[in-house]
Amino acid sequence: MYGGGNTFEGIKTDSLAAEDPIKLAEFEARITRGEKIEPTDWMPQLYRKQLIRMIEQHAHSEIIGALPEGTWITRAPGFKRKMALMAKVQDEVGHAQLLYSAAETLGKSREQMIDDLITGKSKYSNIFNYPTYTWADCCFISWLVDAGAIVNQLANAKGSYGPYCRALDRICAEESFHLKYGHHCVIYLASGTAKQRQMFQEALNRWWPPMMHFFGPSDKISAHTEVLMRWKVKMGTNDEMRNQFLDMYVPKIWELGFTIPDPNLRKDETGKWEYTEPDWEEFKRVINGDGPCNKERLEVRRVAEARGKWVREALKTPKTSYVTPLA
Amino acid sequence: MNSLDPRVARLPKINEPVSPKVPLDQFGTFEVFVQPKEGKPFQHEGSVHAPDLELAWVLAKETFTRRFTCTSLYVVNTRDVYVSPLTEGDKNAYDLLPEITEQAGSKKDFEIYQLTKRGKQHVHVGTVQAVLPQEALVQAAKLYNTGNIVYNVWAIATAAIRFTTPEEKELWLTLPEKKFRDASDYKGGDKLKNFLDRNIS
Ligand SMILES: [Fe+2]
Ligand SMILES: [Fe+2]
Ligand SMILES: [Fe+2]
Repeated sequence: MYGGGNTFEGIKTDSLAAEDPIKLAEFEARITRGEKIEPTDWMPQLYRKQLIRMIEQHAHSEIIGALPEGTWITRAPGFKRKMALMAKVQDEVGHAQLLYSAAETLGKSREQMIDDLITGKSKYSNIFNYPTYTWADCCFISWLVDAGAIVNQLANAKGSYGPYCRALDRICAEESFHLKYGHHCVIYLASGTAKQRQMFQEALNRWWPPMMHFFGPSDKISAHTEVLMRWKVKMGTNDEMRNQFLDMYVPKIWELGFTIPDPNLRKDETGKWEYTEPDWEEFKRVINGDGPCNKERLEVRRVAEARGKWVREALKTPKTSYVTPLA
Repeated sequence: MNSLDPRVARLPKINEPVSPKVPLDQFGTFEVFVQPKEGKPFQHEGSVHAPDLELAWVLAKETFTRRFTCTSLYVVNTRDVYVSPLTEGDKNAYDLLPEITEQAGSKKDFEIYQLTKRGKQHVHVGTVQAVLPQEALVQAAKLYNTGNIVYNVWAIATAAIRFTTPEEKELWLTLPEKKFRDASDYKGGDKLKNFLDRNIS
């Protein structure tokens, strides 16, 4: 993940009415000047709430996102691919650690976030509710899902909340390996046997619709987020992010001789990509729990929690106590 | 469980419902400081949750030093970091420190960290001696306040820190050899070019 396709709560225009207007003006001026907001600075309730929600969703996406790729570690073709995939999956789980800490600085404890993931209260990136049938699906994720994630993460790294930006700087540095590794895998499939090419083409056919969903609902139908853009919580609209992804990666997919399963996909005279409108009903259905892997993903987390409980209890020391991280 | 993933398919069935987490299920909080190169100052990198200092050090190593270069790392309980007010604009955090009278008792060492650019990390500037952390900050103001704006100052009792031992430093010697974690190890250019040439001809 995957800062994309985040679900934001619908914002009522009066939800800022309770804020101190002078403090609010100072806060907004600071963001306009390009300065970062730090945990102990004053911030509107709405800013805090939406940031927690976004960073938390991002963190959950990293650990859930490690599952469809993690399953291929033992079956990756050859020692080198195994090493690389293992390192990548470890990175993703590490990203979750960094992001949970960033969200915690806003006042939500890690326990609460993990509870909310397991009970289905918090969301994670919808794309990980789809299965990885073959090695080629795994390569699609490593290359293109990560590419989509990088588009979002690079944008969000210029956002206004200090701890999130610092976590993202570190994450983006690691993501460059994921992207190169993923592209490398796909080039090998593309230049391999007819069977290998077919394997990737089939994976592409399966993953294209969720990839188009990845950046979230079209601007025409998504909840209005002007205030989040002004506060640099959201750094671009869903359609802008999707367009940027298409612009960077469609030519690279075509270069390898693969067919993207959308007859209407083309760049118009203004440089904007046209495509068949993704099925937003399906997106809603899957995000609300009815996708091919939703149950399994959460069940894996639940089992891990239950099985790890005795270890956590055995390690607990009476002297430690929870505190919010500093920065 | 019915799954394409063989590891998931053979997971045991958990019958008891997973109860809401109790506070501290994820342990206490520890701050992590890394020295990227010999001779460079330590800087704050982030935090980890761990049951104690020893495990915090291990988790910090895994979380923050898999990449780039690292020569040393230390961790401290977040509660042992004494924090000055955070300022902005042209306000210097050193100017806002409350007065403190000379304390009786034996002095100990405190590591001083400064934030000189908002949005960046806190960086180590030196070690001072004081009885209390409040006093350590006042000491730091005398020694390190050059007039340039400092937005935030931290004082950490040196005795509370879990440092890296000289033997442990070997851990990072092999870091540059782990090329498989590096984008530069995945050059597909030649293979891609061959493929494109083949397809054009
Ligand atoms: Fe990631
Ligand atoms: Fe990823
Ligand atoms: Fe990644």
